[in-house]
Amino acid sequence: MMELRKTLAGRIALTTVATVILLFLALPIAVILVTSFSNNAFASFPPDAWTLNWYKALFADGSKWPAALSLSALVAALSTVFSLIIGVTAATALTRSELPLRSAVYALVLGPLVIPQIVTALGLFLLFEPAAMLGSPIAIALGHTVLASPIAVLILIATLRGIDERLEDAAASMGAGRLTIARKITFPLAAPGMIAAAIFSFITSFDEFYISQFLSSVDTVTLPVQVYNSLTFEIDPSVTAVSAILIAFAILALGLVALARWIGSGRQEPLLSVETATGIATPGGEAV
Amino acid sequence: MAAPLTATAPARPRKLLASRKTRVGILYALPVVVYLLVLFVYPIFSTLLLSLQNADGSLTLHWYVESLTGVNLAVLITTLRISAETALFSLVFGFVLANAITRLKPLWAALAMLIVVVPHFISALVRTYGWIIMLGDKGLVNESLAWAPGAPLQLLYNELGVVIGTTSMMLPYTVLLLYGVMRGVDRRLLAAAASMGAGRVTIFRRVYLPLVAPGLASAGLLSFILSLGYYITPALMGGPNQTMIATLINQQVTKESQWNGAAAQGVILLLLTLAGLLLVKAVTSLGASRKKRSAS
Repeated sequence: MMELRKTLAGRIALTTVATVILLFLALPIAVILVTSFSNNAFASFPPDAWTLNWYKALFADGSKWPAALSLSALVAALSTVFSLIIGVTAATALTRSELPLRSAVYALVLGPLVIPQIVTALGLFLLFEPAAMLGSPIAIALGHTVLASPIAVLILIATLRGIDERLEDAAASMGAGRLTIARKITFPLAAPGMIAAAIFSFITSFDEFYISQFLSSVDTVTLPVQVYNSLTFEIDPSVTAVSAILIAFAILALGLVALARWIGSGRQEPLLSVETATGIATPGGEAV
Repeated sequence: MAAPLTATAPARPRKLLASRKTRVGILYALPVVVYLLVLFVYPIFSTLLLSLQNADGSLTLHWYVESLTGVNLAVLITTLRISAETALFSLVFGFVLANAITRLKPLWAALAMLIVVVPHFISALVRTYGWIIMLGDKGLVNESLAWAPGAPLQLLYNELGVVIGTTSMMLPYTVLLLYGVMRGVDRRLLAAAASMGAGRVTIFRRVYLPLVAPGLASAGLLSFILSLGYYITPALMGGPNQTMIATLINQQVTKESQWNGAAAQGVILLLLTLAGLLLVKAVTSLGASRKKRSAS
């Protein structure tokens, strides 16, 4: 590939500017991690002394954080289950069948991702308020699933497209039933994608704020709503520790997704290479 | 083989198979379609209905008139202004960073992309809080600018604070989009221009910029659209003059129980978003046709 000539000055300028913009993205996150161990939890940087007090305060008597955390975990677990059910069926329909109105279904799935979340939240509020379901964890989980399931569908579509259908056809030609094929071929190969879909659904629900705020009541407050409340109304220094935990949690989740991908990455090739090595490759010689 | 005998036979199983595949498809598509129709499409339609109704149920445009006059109009204009500023800054920074990443060595490029992508998966609320810590009177930025005249600078609870915050939220989108577009630029075109004696500025202006222009337009539009409905950052980092439409909707629902007004503003926000999306689509198809021409 031919490149334009690079000058030293240009290189230095480029690196500097790129570094500054990357700092712009990374610093707010790093600052929280550092401040959560700082003696002075509010806006003093760099800290003059270190402490674990803010983490201890999370679990002190009368703290609202454990309840908010367990509610968010419950809601996120529920919407992960809902999203996976919707995701697996929808991705199967969109990749492995002849579906009438396919593009309309696809547009419907993309809808919640492009419509402003506050509009979705308002609509859900108008739906659940007359049903007296405000504050119900089920209602919040159903609402979060509207945002989380499209993400699960998209990830699983990509996963199923990545699985060579010839493997499923080969199993079918040898007499395997639909269930056997799903259990022995498709599921093991789709497992990393399903783990990714589950983790992203969980994070989406766990971090969701707009729907939670509209659907929560005084007694049922999710973690993000509690964080927002302690930033606006009640000044609670533990919010720094909670934020640091949320950051660690997100990074851990992304690490898990990467790990699942890495473990799963070597699975399909050996199966296909055996197939080509024994000379029964695709009759038309299609490229994989 | 006995091909003539079974000439019609293969057609029939295939047709059967096709209809079976269709039935299976419909069956599997049912959960997502039903779910989103009930919990996404229907609620939006009832929002639309509510925005057109009086207290007694008769049709009215009263809520729209109210949403587009006085204080509410000012909020709408503020929303458009802050979104435009955010789109501009995230576009400029995104362009510079994406361009830099395309020139980095693969390892550094991967590391830079990691720093761009990871924050996107961290709660916007948490990242906004990080900015509040950084931009306060005793925050990192003011401490390191202590020598500057007028320090400490007022970086929070004004428009500067909001735009800093929202720009950092939109930056991952613009960087990712522009990076994809820039990777697709055929470097040979630039080399060809250089071989014919064009200078750096000319190459940038006459060759590179036209090639990435559709990508720039859709990235800018996208961050504009996404900023329109933004709530967390303006509410936490802005002052009373930075009230955006999402904040207003939230206030009307949670504090004033003024659902009709909130519904009308929601519909206005929705229409603005859809108009923006249509523009993105038009720009994308324009870009596709241009790319085809330059390739031929």
